[in-house]
Amino acid sequence: MSAFLKNRNARAFLLLAVIALALGILGGPQIFSGRTMFSILQQFAVLGPVALALGLTMVIRHFDLSVAGMLGLAGCIAVLCGAGNPLFGIALAVGFGAVFGALQGAIITTLRLSSIGVTLGGLLILNGLAYVITGNRELGYPRPDVAQFIDATLGDVLSFRALVAIAIFAVIGLVMSRTRLGRDIIASGSDPAAAAIAGVPVKSITILVMTFSGAAAALAGGLLSFSLTTASPTALADVLVPAAAAAIIGGVSLSGGRGHPIGIAGGVLVLCLLRSGLSALNVEPYVHGITVGFVLAMVGLLDSTDLERRLINLRRAFARPRPS
Amino acid sequence: MIAATAALNEMQTPAVPPKVLNARNLSKRFGHIQALENAAIELEAGEIRAVCGENGAGKSTLVKILTGILQSDTGNIEIDGRAVHIKSPRDSQEVGLNLVSQELSICPDLSVLDNIWLGSIEVPMFHRKKAFRNRARKTLEMLGAAHIDLDQPAAKLSTGERQIVEIARMLGRDTRILILDEPTATLSDSEIERVMQALKALKREGHAILYITHRLSEVFEICDTVTVMRNGREVLAANVSDLDRKALIEAMLGRPFEEMYPTHKPASGEAAALRIANLNIPGAVDKLNLVVPRGQIVCLTGQVGSGAEDVVHAVAGMLVEAEGDISVNGRRLQPGFPEKAKKLGIRFVSGDRAEEGIFIGLSVTDNLVATRLDARGLAGVLSPGALKKEAARLAEKIRFDRRRLASVASTLSGGNQQKLAFGRCIDHGKPGVIVMIEPTRGIDVGARAEIYQLMRDFCDQGYGLLIASTDFSEVLGIGDRIVTLYRGKVVQTYHAGQVTMPQIVADVTHPVMS
Amino acid sequence: MTSQLDWLWPSPSTLFRWCIVVALAVFAVTTPGFLSPTSLRSLLSTASLVGCVAVGMTFVTMSGNIMSFSLGASLSATTVVFVWLLPYGAAAAVTGALLFGAGINAVQGLVIGYFRANPIIVSMAAFALILGVFTMLTGGRGIYITTNDAEIFNTNFSFVPGPLMAFAACALVGQAILRFTRFGRQVFLLGSNPRAALAAGMEPWRTVTWAYALAGLFTTVTAVLIASRYGSGDLQHGTGFEYQAISAVLVGGTAIQGGNGSVLRTFIGTMLIAIFKAVLILRGFSIELQQLLIGVVVLLVIMLQWRAGDLK
Repeated sequence: MSAFLKNRNARAFLLLAVIALALGILGGPQIFSGRTMFSILQQFAVLGPVALALGLTMVIRHFDLSVAGMLGLAGCIAVLCGAGNPLFGIALAVGFGAVFGALQGAIITTLRLSSIGVTLGGLLILNGLAYVITGNRELGYPRPDVAQFIDATLGDVLSFRALVAIAIFAVIGLVMSRTRLGRDIIASGSDPAAAAIAGVPVKSITILVMTFSGAAAALAGGLLSFSLTTASPTALADVLVPAAAAAIIGGVSLSGGRGHPIGIAGGVLVLCLLRSGLSALNVEPYVHGITVGFVLAMVGLLDSTDLERRLINLRRAFARPRPS
Repeated sequence: MIAATAALNEMQTPAVPPKVLNARNLSKRFGHIQALENAAIELEAGEIRAVCGENGAGKSTLVKILTGILQSDTGNIEIDGRAVHIKSPRDSQEVGLNLVSQELSICPDLSVLDNIWLGSIEVPMFHRKKAFRNRARKTLEMLGAAHIDLDQPAAKLSTGERQIVEIARMLGRDTRILILDEPTATLSDSEIERVMQALKALKREGHAILYITHRLSEVFEICDTVTVMRNGREVLAANVSDLDRKALIEAMLGRPFEEMYPTHKPASGEAAALRIANLNIPGAVDKLNLVVPRGQIVCLTGQVGSGAEDVVHAVAGMLVEAEGDISVNGRRLQPGFPEKAKKLGIRFVSGDRAEEGIFIGLSVTDNLVATRLDARGLAGVLSPGALKKEAARLAEKIRFDRRRLASVASTLSGGNQQKLAFGRCIDHGKPGVIVMIEPTRGIDVGARAEIYQLMRDFCDQGYGLLIASTDFSEVLGIGDRIVTLYRGKVVQTYHAGQVTMPQIVADVTHPVMS
Repeated sequence: MTSQLDWLWPSPSTLFRWCIVVALAVFAVTTPGFLSPTSLRSLLSTASLVGCVAVGMTFVTMSGNIMSFSLGASLSATTVVFVWLLPYGAAAAVTGALLFGAGINAVQGLVIGYFRANPIIVSMAAFALILGVFTMLTGGRGIYITTNDAEIFNTNFSFVPGPLMAFAACALVGQAILRFTRFGRQVFLLGSNPRAALAAGMEPWRTVTWAYALAGLFTTVTAVLIASRYGSGDLQHGTGFEYQAISAVLVGGTAIQGGNGSVLRTFIGTMLIAIFKAVLILRGFSIELQQLLIGVVVLLVIMLQWRAGDLK
């Protein structure tokens, strides 16, 4: 049990259980209907890949702000180019995401720049691009059949869209646990200098992770726009905070080297359960915002560099009489 | 046909087999400092060559060039007679050249097993193979460290165990040439003995080994040949059997060190400027007692990880986990509050200038007045004119060119940067305590002499100086008292002139603890 | 050795910046209609509103904390607080708003400085908390100014728009604080090398807390102006301001890793972006394209900082 508690990946699932229990007590067991489960997984389909994208960049000690812009822009690309063939639209969106991510990664590694700065520029560019290609209008997607297909329930709670997200998590989970690449990703974030000395190609790994980040966010954005049958440049801007929150709740450390897709999935589920559960209880939506903010603040505080040092400081300052 | 004949001829006349490693004319310059100048190194199969030299002699630069972490400005490297270009650690591994580095390259978040195979080009994409596990286990057993659990995270290992894992990593790789950069600094005697056994076994198998060390006893125990470096140049290459300890030490020092260090007559019987009693730092220092008299320089010396640096950090208020009594001129200091330490008159000078010494992007003036902003101005408003005047005054005291006050610190040489750190220590009030870590690390000889003179000036004004240094000749030259440390414990305290280099080396490597 | 002559030989990136400035100026002046009073005035007013927030953001960036994601939310919340307090008089409302704006940001600064929590995470959490709590308090609706107490903040000074005066004042005060106070020098030291600041006997958390408090203070100036301008307090008012502000800071040339920059540069950055936008509009480029091009400029400016990072 103590090993379970110490495992950072377990943190999210513990929180998940607590929230589920609380919701169960407040709303009765009927709150966990198939409908709620379906809605949780539908949200997972959007937030999941974005949180995974951001989370993996955090594992290698970077921070990809541009995922928020990519989600929106990819939706616009997919809708604009996917009217005839939805697969073509999605492929184009994902391809663009990958190329843009790789480009950002290359800038970060070759110029040795902070990823936040570069991806901030990337975020602004992606936002701007979304405005340009849509002409600042909401675009309709004339293929309700596609929306129906990707959102049709498969076995009560799943949809095609959710399945895609789960598949991404499964593949990346496998990569992280079972492959040399996963090991090298952890090493690059754990101590980049040490990893480089040991012979890990840290730069290539940074570019690779940034590429994945762009592609995953683009995939989620494209599918979301198909599902909504619309795309607009502004609608999707608020994904950054929940994505960061999900990753951090899921055990990803901002100082790098820690974090696993399973934990991130747990973190995403926590937020999705919270939102669906609260709306099932007919609680105002702002409660969700406050809760997310609060949890994020708490986890941020718990992970802060000087927490231990300051607690000792505070204890000393109050426990002992001041020296003359 | 012709080629085949030539090859045949070569096989039939085994005249001189090419050296396993043959590096020539390696030079490397960092800004103002020539770190390496026409260095050369040769190795044959089954040879263990020691590389000796003081700190800053260029050993680390040489190693980094051989392993692709740095690129040399000039020179060429041949392996088995073939010219190779080593541009990255991966290249170096591909030619069979592997390094156990002094700065450990263990990733704390990975398991021991993953750390052992990290970066190895043998490992396939799906790396969880039984064979690798077994080989890792065998290597650890060979190093006598079978007790290390392969699945625990490396963060849980002690420094010594990490060093063993690091060695195991390189033994696990397909290695022609193994470079070890002071591998035994943090190991216990029994661990060292096992490492020596492992090295002898490797030698028998025909591996070539480059062994960088401070410990002369190890040179004589396992090395066949030795290269001595000084100021970036090779000054001696010989068979170990042709040398004795004295000759080796003389080759390492090379210069009479009296000229380097200002003469001084230590004030005797002065009151204590700094008094440390029962200092405990978990995992680093154990019940340490120390007195720094006013007007004197006390040197703390030991190998990497001896705890000397931790003592200095604790006195500077930067280690909150430190416990014990630290008092400055009779006033007690609470550990963990750098601001309070400063108010008590403690100033800190670090050799790690980029990390904790210099504000690299700011001007000389900004750097000089950094510690005295609170002493000036009304309600926090500062007058730039007054700050400039103050900086000029300080610059004069540390003999820094006043015309360069507006320069950015990054354009200065290491020596001048370090002078700025000393400038910050000058105080208005009662002379306090200056604590330092490796104050002359990476500084050229001329600037060193100036810095030693500055230290003496501070002593004459009544400051007490505490220096943590791993540079034994510096310690011998500048210290009024020399305290040798071994794993967080004091071995001996000597007065100036009472101790010799071999004694210090013995104290910090194989102490006879009372 | 050549230090006296350094300014004669600017680094390539400085040279590049000046080229951009000169090119932009030529481009602007030759654009027909650019110098017409109406276009200039509306342009300057809008830019000034972002500018005050950017002055505040400069302190956050300079102190080594990259950026605050909560300044937009803080701006929105402060407009609401301002409108609430307006019935007690304009002076009370401004004072209350300033205290509120400085307070909610100082708390973030305290957590970031004292515990060294990650500034991105803390400001994102604050973003969610501020918007959540104020949606709860206002029900998500804007509240409107019913009296004309706030009219005083809408006055223009003959030709000069009011917001521009406020921005200029903020920039001057900000620059003076950064240049001529102990706190300002400490912001430089801390942003340049936090560990060395600690080693030199500084307690960085006080400086960080003040930096965030000032960020809140300058943001409040914009909040008061916006609330008075639109006659309402609304949680939509500040949306996106944090991104516009950090763009202005970076385009001005302040280093994203801190320790190198000034409020003056932020002033210039704000003006450059404003002029750039105006020229694009007048030359017939769409609003959408502006967004994209500003993003490109920000990325280019960040890429120019690579030399600074290389020195480490």
